[in-house]
Amino acid sequence: MRASLAWLREMVPGSESDVDTAHRLTMLGLEVEGIEKVEGDTVFEINVTPNRPDCLSIIGIARELSAALGTPLNFPEHEVNGNTGELDFNIDILNPALCRRYAGRIVKGLKIGPSPDWLKLRLEKSGIRSINNVVDVTNYVLIELGHPLHAFDLGTIKGHRIQVGTSGDVKGKAERLRFRTLDGLERELLSDALLIWDAERPIAIAGIMGGGETEVSDSTTDIFIESAWFDPVSVRRTAKATGLKTEASFRFERGTDIKMLKKALDRAAFLMHEIAGGKVYGKIDIYPGQLPPAKIIISAEKINSVLGLDLPETQIIRYLNDLGFVVEEGKGCLNITPPAYRVDVQGGADIIEEIARTYGYERIPAVLPMASVGIETQDNSQKAFSESLLKELKESFLKSGFTEVINYSFMGDQDLDLLGIDRSDLRHLLKVPIKNPLRLEDTYMRTMLVPALIRNIVYNVSHDNRAFKLFEISRVFSGSKDEKLPEHKYHFAAALYKEKTRSLYKDDTNDFFVVKGIIEALLEALKIRDYSFGRSVEPFLHPGQSADLFISGSKTGFVGALSPVIVERLDIKAHGPSIVLAEFDIDFLRPYAMQVIKYRPLPKYPGSERDTALVVDESIASSKIVALLKEFDSDLIEDITLFDVYKGKNIPDGKKSIAFSIRYRAADRTLTDDDVETLHNRIVGFICEKTNGQVRS
Amino acid sequence: MIDDLKEKFLNELESVISPADLFQLRVNYLGKKGHLTSALKALSSATPDERPLLGKKINDVKQFVEAHIASKEAAFKNEELKKQLLAGAIDITLPGKYAAFGKEHPINQVLFEITDIFVKMGFSVEEGPEVETDYYNFEALNFPKDHPARDMQDTFFVSDDIVLRTHTSPVQVRGMEKRKPPVRFIAPGKVYRCDADITHTPMFHQVEGLMVDKDITFSNLKGILEAFLHQMFGPDTRVRFRPSFFPFTEPSAEVDIGCILCGGSGCRVCKNSGWLEILGAGMVNPAVFKNVGYDTEIYTGFAFGMGIERIAMLKYAIDDIRLFYENDIRFLRQF
Ligand SMILES: [Zn+2]
Repeated sequence: MRASLAWLREMVPGSESDVDTAHRLTMLGLEVEGIEKVEGDTVFEINVTPNRPDCLSIIGIARELSAALGTPLNFPEHEVNGNTGELDFNIDILNPALCRRYAGRIVKGLKIGPSPDWLKLRLEKSGIRSINNVVDVTNYVLIELGHPLHAFDLGTIKGHRIQVGTSGDVKGKAERLRFRTLDGLERELLSDALLIWDAERPIAIAGIMGGGETEVSDSTTDIFIESAWFDPVSVRRTAKATGLKTEASFRFERGTDIKMLKKALDRAAFLMHEIAGGKVYGKIDIYPGQLPPAKIIISAEKINSVLGLDLPETQIIRYLNDLGFVVEEGKGCLNITPPAYRVDVQGGADIIEEIARTYGYERIPAVLPMASVGIETQDNSQKAFSESLLKELKESFLKSGFTEVINYSFMGDQDLDLLGIDRSDLRHLLKVPIKNPLRLEDTYMRTMLVPALIRNIVYNVSHDNRAFKLFEISRVFSGSKDEKLPEHKYHFAAALYKEKTRSLYKDDTNDFFVVKGIIEALLEALKIRDYSFGRSVEPFLHPGQSADLFISGSKTGFVGALSPVIVERLDIKAHGPSIVLAEFDIDFLRPYAMQVIKYRPLPKYPGSERDTALVVDESIASSKIVALLKEFDSDLIEDITLFDVYKGKNIPDGKKSIAFSIRYRAADRTLTDDDVETLHNRIVGFICEKTNGQVRS
Repeated sequence: MIDDLKEKFLNELESVISPADLFQLRVNYLGKKGHLTSALKALSSATPDERPLLGKKINDVKQFVEAHIASKEAAFKNEELKKQLLAGAIDITLPGKYAAFGKEHPINQVLFEITDIFVKMGFSVEEGPEVETDYYNFEALNFPKDHPARDMQDTFFVSDDIVLRTHTSPVQVRGMEKRKPPVRFIAPGKVYRCDADITHTPMFHQVEGLMVDKDITFSNLKGILEAFLHQMFGPDTRVRFRPSFFPFTEPSAEVDIGCILCGGSGCRVCKNSGWLEILGAGMVNPAVFKNVGYDTEIYTGFAFGMGIERIAMLKYAIDDIRLFYENDIRFLRQF
């Protein structure tokens, strides 16, 4: 809302500086967001919150200033002469629920023309374009008194009649109508839209916009001025459905002052007569929806106890009176009737706010509460555990050089298509669509995090960042048939990007193992025992350099090099970069992370190690050796370490050498060399038999 | 003769320049045919009277010689070691095999800082869904259907009834439904609004807070938030509460701090007002309490909420919110 200070001063005289007035308004809840000097005047840009439609007018803001300054309010004059002449004109409210009051006046013989400069200037300061004297007056009164008016060309209204109702009210049958508004566009209306009709047809969308056929034009001489109250919800629904947002609808949907509408009508008739001449005819005022004024009962004690103040009742009453509230003192309480323009005041809490506002938020002391001590519930300790899991996860990647990113929770089909994810994959099937995305590429909620990390890689490489490691912890979403809301799951994802760089220190570890290693360390740190890796089936990973992560036999993630086929598709200007991606479901890990730690006694007797290298088929996975060892199942095996995998010279084609070390230990004695030797030979024999391998000599 | 031996030894020691020389010197004095061994052997030919004194003298010289040889020997060893170590010297000005730590995203750093302050004031941390029902996001918070207050938040819709939460406030309602007062928690998380420009991103972060008990006052709201803002922005930060509107609080307040960039004299960031809007807050609207079944006669409470991006932008003097989501590694590594 743009408000001219000079205009405000006409209603509330004063000499406060514009900056001081701006501060005063801000502290009353009418935040002045901008101060503009215009031709010797100051215009405030005021952010009026949706609860205060009364302040979408000069009079409303003036009322606030008047109460705060204790200066009486000058209400603008509107003497209407010439209430003469028989009126052959009828108004019928067919839907009093949606139109509680409808008033109108006829002015005949006026002369349409440009507005005088003072009027043009005030409208301009208010951000409204001048059209002609009649339309300008309706807009002037809108800004001045906050009540929207509409002027019809009387000659175009058929049958000397106005009807207010929906299509159902007027025609006996609800139907969707098409209607041409005065901006020249044809609009499709909802069947329950409240309309203004003449004897034959709709002529305006109530409270939103008039029709093109009854618009005031240069040749108009007689007009009908409408001033009415329309139901906020109905206006809002229709305004939204038609996509029309006007100064009028903006006010009607927030709630207008049902009492003010008569004054606004008279004020407009008065000004039109002054400016455009003509003869003003008698007023028609139909008011079927008169409601008893709302009463709010609250005690001074309650007000004080919510605010933490100790104001005397007399002070509270004075504050309310200054704001136009009528207060009757009851038994230990106050019976309060808010003024009609304060549509926002409906309960005790609203009264409390009025008192706080008037007393001044600044003056209310800041006091820390006396709080009761809470007890950690089971629920909370579960949560604390989850937090520590997340923290551990985050720390382990941060310390390994991965930097955290946050991406939008959106994705598009192009993201999954790029990765070649099948349409029958759950990550396609369960995606949650957004009805009004900002971009087509953001049509769904993410079902996986890796696509965004790939975008991050492309972005960074295009900005000449050539080596980096990223991770993200965010939720992914999947639709659910049984639940109203989609499933929210925390996922972790990491991406490593590296080009062949020259480096002082040599480290030729395949980056796959770098990422896999951190994941393994993490799983161990979380004391998750039952995990394993198997060749990945993800279509976007290098089939030979990728693994799926299984926890207790269920797939819960993957780690692997991005398939060269996909790398080719990315807009990356680099030759053969190393890109490793990983993603897993954190929520799935939670139940497996061991929460209770039990101490295991340290070994009392020394252990003994034996190394062996086996030559086996290339196809035998190293994990097979570990699995066989488990299968062998001896209490004396403490640990196995793989320390070399070798192909090449001295090893036949199609074979490889796997070297490992087994540590043996007994809990109750020192193992003799013989014990260990015999056992080790049996184990090696067992493994050779199962793998068709041979001890490398 | 024995008296001269010491002198003689010292003279010869002086000319020792290699371990081989030293070895020879040791042989000359302490060897089977060495001076001292000979002297000891000669002791038997001394008179019984002279013997003790002479014996002691010889022993003294022997210890003297041994000590000097040992010390010279140590000196040679030391020198040798020094030589070896020097041969193994590396260029210590080369950079270390540096594995830089990663950085937490600045938004999460600020989020943690805020959360930590409230946790220390006894608030627990609560979470809620990001895809939320219209009921929790709006209705239960006293935003009726077809109410203009909904215009304050451009909403992403999944269906007529399901939205991407536009604020973290629905967690207030879910949190209260789960427990009886006293209630004291904060709810950090992602929120969504369909808006994108230099100051808006379609996804951003908020922290919501709620405290409900008997006798909680507006004055307490000011107390808690001032304490928080003084922790977050420094003890001298000026704090200003002014009336505002949120459907789920009444009275409602907007909380400003004195501009941390210009100190209050007015700049571009504070639009020359000297103040920065930092928080929305208020006393929980009794309508919300009714929706969760709390007795409005017994309980009062306050709620507050703040945008993390805004605070992070102020803290690090960032002027374009989109930087947070471009995830340029050069940007992220700065925090
Ligand atoms: Zn500033």
